[in-house]
Amino acid sequence: MLKGNQISYSHKKYSILNKIDVSVGFGEFLAIVGPNGAGKSTLLSVLANEISSKQKQSVLFKDKLFRDWNLKDLAQHKAKFSQHNSNDIPLLVHDVVMMGRYPYFSSTPQTADLEAAENSMEETDILHLKSREYNSLSGGEKQRVHLARALAQLKNEVTNKLLFLDEPLNNLDIKHQHRALKTLKEFTQKQNTAIVVLHDLNLAAQFADKILLMKNGEVSAHGKPEEVFNEKTISDAYNFPCAICANPVTQNPMIIFGN
Amino acid sequence: MTKDYQMQNKLFIYLSSSILLLILLAIGALFMGVYDFGEKSPITVLGEVISGSPNVSLSEKYVIWDVRMARIVMAILIGSILAVSGTTMQGMFKNPLATPDLIGITAGATLMAAITIVLGSFFRHLLPEFLQYSLLSIAAFIGALLTTFAVYRMSTSQGKTNVVIMLLSGVAITALGFACVGFLIYLSKDEQLRDLTFWNLGSLGGATWTKNGILFVVMLLSYSILIHKGKALNAMMLGEKDAEHLGINVEKIKKQIVVLTALMIGAAVAFAGNIGFIGLIVPYILRLIFKSNYQIILPMSAVIGSILLLLADTFSRTIVAPSEIPIGVITAFLGAPVFIAILIRFKNSM
Repeated sequence: MLKGNQISYSHKKYSILNKIDVSVGFGEFLAIVGPNGAGKSTLLSVLANEISSKQKQSVLFKDKLFRDWNLKDLAQHKAKFSQHNSNDIPLLVHDVVMMGRYPYFSSTPQTADLEAAENSMEETDILHLKSREYNSLSGGEKQRVHLARALAQLKNEVTNKLLFLDEPLNNLDIKHQHRALKTLKEFTQKQNTAIVVLHDLNLAAQFADKILLMKNGEVSAHGKPEEVFNEKTISDAYNFPCAICANPVTQNPMIIFGN
Repeated sequence: MTKDYQMQNKLFIYLSSSILLLILLAIGALFMGVYDFGEKSPITVLGEVISGSPNVSLSEKYVIWDVRMARIVMAILIGSILAVSGTTMQGMFKNPLATPDLIGITAGATLMAAITIVLGSFFRHLLPEFLQYSLLSIAAFIGALLTTFAVYRMSTSQGKTNVVIMLLSGVAITALGFACVGFLIYLSKDEQLRDLTFWNLGSLGGATWTKNGILFVVMLLSYSILIHKGKALNAMMLGEKDAEHLGINVEKIKKQIVVLTALMIGAAVAFAGNIGFIGLIVPYILRLIFKSNYQIILPMSAVIGSILLLLADTFSRTIVAPSEIPIGVITAFLGAPVFIAILIRFKNSM
């Protein structure tokens, strides 16, 4: 699906990513975790073709370099939810979500576009806000609008789609955090792929198929949650003591920091 | 579910009703003027001119066709061009104050036009009329292009515009333009002097059909590329990276906007001088009604700009007839309050 080969990236003199190899399969939910400044967002940006790494040919999406893709085609195969969304968009919520359908219609949204927008607003629970002004929403609500926009962008017949999300749970309350992750899980169960930067390790353990743990611009562990989440790896990566037990409800690993 | 169809229908209704209004105003403007056609109405005379009827006198033909019609059409063309370039600039800079006159593009165009007038007087008489005007608009185009490029490079980094730098570079370039034009006025002969003063104040008094033809071609060319960029400009409000994820080629669109706006401003400045504020007022009014949805405000500004400039021009030539007030005075009277209103509204976010 997506292969990154020896990805390195540095900003000015500081090396942010150092020779990272990463490969993500069809239908995989990959959570990228790690402490602040580990390079999670930067890795996501490189993988999503926002910035290019030193070796320009290091990321292959469906065995093709990004620059060999047609822009419109690519927009129907992959979408990205960014961490820092604009606060000032003087439009209605519905219009912002409809932007996710821009790759599909030329000037007037078609029935499929209206349905896709409606469904994704339903999924992120903002249908009741659709006629509100975007600028009047709270931070968490704005976040959900952009989530709906990214979801709407990938509602199509293409198989094996790819969704990047950079800390999608910021500002969301517990209910909407779970709701968002459940939606993503359903998305990946249809042979689509999601690459998500997450901060909450327990949620990552509960929903992700694979975990990529980063530290100092390098991969310190990559594998299934139960492989990556052991006390030594996590304490080392975060430089903070932790204990791990089985979650009594889901049986996934549960990380408890501090002791 | 039907909301969007309604929105598109609405756009169609708003567009066609404002075009209708524009036509009515144009007909109204045809009646305004000092020349007395006697018993005939100007419409009849116009009809006779078009059909080539023999009962029109030469002076009637001249007044109706070469003076009034040419001027009305020029007001329509230039108003539209100024409003559309204001709207697209604002979209590119993501700021409602980014209009060609405020950020110095008009001044850049004026400066190059002034240089061409003074230096061009040596070989100007050798060229046919069409080429003379083209030369002027090409010079103004180059001036506009260079300033847009310079202002953009100075004020924007990584897709984010620093509003203060943007406006101040406009101030700097305008000051430089004024100084150079002032110097040229000092150097120039009487005939050039009249031309130069005209440039600084702006006027549609020099309208001819040759100029209108060039303006029309420029407009057609620019609109064929720009007018359906509404979606792209909307998406750019998300940020340039996110717009790219939506399949929009941001770099290419920005280049198109820079070049075509410079072309439009160049032509407008070359033929009508420095008419300010149209590109500020029109999008401002449209944003009040339609929010910032460029899919609507971009095509609408093409028509509302015409309406506004036609009204302003008709007013400027009738209020103190047979003399006229420079049109720049009227647009500034309208525009300055809008400028202040925008400043008050955005004072917290700048």
